[in-house]
Amino acid sequence: MSSPHTTTLNYLDTPICEAVLKITELLKASYKISKNTLALLLLQEDPYTQALVKEKEEKNYTHIQEVVSNLSKQYSEPLRYVISMNRQKTVDVLVSQSVTVPKSSSFMISNFLNRLMIHPLTGYPILALVLYYGLYQFVGVFGSGTIVEFIEGTLFETYINPWVTSFFQALIPWAVIQELFVGEYGIFTLGIRYAVAIVLPVVGTFFIAFSIIEDTGYLPRLALLLDRSFKYIGLNGRAVIPMVLGLGCDTMATMVTRILETKREKVIATLLLALAIPCSAQLGLILALLAKSPHALLMWGGVVMGEFFLIGYLAAKILPGTQPQFFMELPPLRLPMLSNVMTKTYSRIQWYFMEVLPLFIVASLLIWVGQITGLFQWLINALKPVVLAIGLPAEAAIAVLFGFFRRDYGAAGLYDLQTKNLLTPNQLAIASITLTLFLPCIAQFLIMKKERGLKTTLWMTAFIFGAAFGTGYLLNQVLELLRIHL
Amino acid sequence: MTKVALVGSPNVGKSSLFNQLTKLYVSVSNYPGTTVSITRGKITIKDKIFEIMDTPGMYSFLPVTDEEKVSRKIIFEESPDIIVHVIDAKNLERMLPLTLQLMETKLNVILNLNIIDEAEKIGMIINTDLLEKELHIPVIQTVSTKGIGVLTLKDKLYELTTHHHA
Repeated sequence: MSSPHTTTLNYLDTPICEAVLKITELLKASYKISKNTLALLLLQEDPYTQALVKEKEEKNYTHIQEVVSNLSKQYSEPLRYVISMNRQKTVDVLVSQSVTVPKSSSFMISNFLNRLMIHPLTGYPILALVLYYGLYQFVGVFGSGTIVEFIEGTLFETYINPWVTSFFQALIPWAVIQELFVGEYGIFTLGIRYAVAIVLPVVGTFFIAFSIIEDTGYLPRLALLLDRSFKYIGLNGRAVIPMVLGLGCDTMATMVTRILETKREKVIATLLLALAIPCSAQLGLILALLAKSPHALLMWGGVVMGEFFLIGYLAAKILPGTQPQFFMELPPLRLPMLSNVMTKTYSRIQWYFMEVLPLFIVASLLIWVGQITGLFQWLINALKPVVLAIGLPAEAAIAVLFGFFRRDYGAAGLYDLQTKNLLTPNQLAIASITLTLFLPCIAQFLIMKKERGLKTTLWMTAFIFGAAFGTGYLLNQVLELLRIHL
Repeated sequence: MTKVALVGSPNVGKSSLFNQLTKLYVSVSNYPGTTVSITRGKITIKDKIFEIMDTPGMYSFLPVTDEEKVSRKIIFEESPDIIVHVIDAKNLERMLPLTLQLMETKLNVILNLNIIDEAEKIGMIINTDLLEKELHIPVIQTVSTKGIGVLTLKDKLYELTTHHHA
C-alpha cells in the first residue's frame, strides 16, 4: 500500500491529486484503509480521520495540515465542495455516455398522487383517510372488535376456558396450584388468554395495515407533509419515521431514533415516544375500549396529541440548539408486494409474541406468588389512593399495576373491567389517557438506557410518571368541575 | 472466509438483496432508515464460505447520522474483502459518486445496479459493459425483490475470491 495508485484518482483536479500524493507520503503509520481515502478525507476536514491520523502520526500531522491549508487557499469554495463537484462531473460524463433516458416518462399517475400526498390542503385529508380506514376501521373495529369478540367471547369463554379449567382441576387436586394455572390471574386464564385472544388479533391487524402502508412509500411523503408542524417541537420531518414506527412498537422506534442527526433531536424523540406515542397493542386495545363511547375516544386523541405537541414544544424550548435542515430521499410510490407484506407481518407478530408471552406468563407467576405472600394485595392497596385520585374505581388498581409491566397488559386489564361494565366513559377516557402516557414496557426502558444513557432515562421516566398521573388527575378535576359526562 | 459488505444509499434494496443471498430474513420497507445496525449471515458458494453484511444506508464517506457512521466503520475498520455497492439504477448519477469513493479504498468493489425493472419500465437503457470498462470494476444488474440476478452476483463474488487469492 506504499505507492499510491493514481488510476482511481485521475478524475480529480491536478492540484488536488498532487496534494493527495503529498499526504499519502506523509502517512507513515499503517492503516486499515487506503491512504488515498484517508488523504481525501483529510482534505475534506473529516473529524474522524483527523483524530485518527493525529494520534498515529504525531509530528507529521502538522505537515499534513500545511498541505491541506495550502490547497484550500487555491480555491474559493471549501475543499469538501470542490472534491464532490469533481466527482459529480466525472459521474455526469459517465452517465451521459452509458445511459439513455426517454424524454417523457410514464410517471403521470404516481406523480399526481405524490403531489396530493405532500400538499397540505390534500395531504391532511389523505392522512385522515389512512388513519380512519387503516387504523380505526381495520385495527379498531375489525381487529379488536370483531376478531377479539370471536376469539375471546366465543372460543375462549364458551369452549376453551371451561375445558382447560376442568382439565386442570381434575389433574391437580390442590386449589393453590390450580389457581396458578386457571385462577383469576392464572397462567392460562390470564396470561395466555390475554396474549392469544386480546393482544394477538390487535397486533396482527395493525402489523398487516402497517406493512401495507410501509411498502407503498407513503411514510416519507408523510414526513414531508408533517415537516413544518414538527419544527415547533424541535424536530424535522425525518423524525416522522420513528414516530410512526412507534405506533407499531415504541421499543423498535427508540432504536430507529439513530437516524436523527443531533443529540437534541434524539432526546426529544425518545421522550415523546415514551410519553405520547401509543404502541400497536395499546392502540388497538384503547380503540376497542373506547369504540363504544366516541366522545371518550375523541377526548383521548385530543389530550394525547395535545400532550405530544406541548411537551415537544417545551422540550425544544429548554434544550439548546437548532434543528438541522430536512431532506429525505423520496422513494417511488409502489404497489405493495403481497409476499413481502406477509413475511414482514409474520416476522413482526412472531417477534412480538415471543416477547410478550413469556412476560405475561411471568406476570401471572408473580401475581400468584404475590397473592400467597400478601404482597399483591398490599401493592393494590397502596395504589388505590392514586387510582381513586384520578377518579377511577378501586378495582382499576389491578389494571394500573399491570400497566407497570406493560402498557398493553394494563390496557387488557381495563378491557376486562369494561366488559364487566365497571367503568363510565369518563373513567375510561381518564384511564386510557393515563395508561397511554405511561412508559410502555420494561423492554423500552432498557433500550432507552442503551441509547440515551442511564441518567437521561431516569429523568425521563420520573417525568413521565408525573406527567401521566398528573394529567389523569387534572383531567378528572376538570371533568368533575364542569360536570361533563362523556 | 470472505467478508462481503452490502453498502449503498438508503432504500435501494440492500436488505432485500441480503435476504435473497442468505435466505435469512431482515425487515424490508419502502422508506429510508429501516436498517439501523449491521446484520450478518453466512453462505456457501461452491466450495467457499462468505460472510455477508447488511449495512445501514450511507450517502458518502462524510457521515451525517449515526447509522451512516455504523456503515463507514464497517468499511474502515473491518476491511471487508469485497464491497457490493448496491444502487438504485434509476438514480445512477446521484449514486455513482459513492462508487468512486469506495474504489479509492482499493478494496474489491462490485457495482450492483438494483431495481433494474423500474428503470426499464420508464424506458432507461443502461450500457453495463461500458460502465464496467470505464470504471474497471464488475457491474451487474439485479431485481432484489424478485431474486433476479442473484445468481450472477454469487458467481461474481466467487470469481473475485479466486482472483484475490491467486
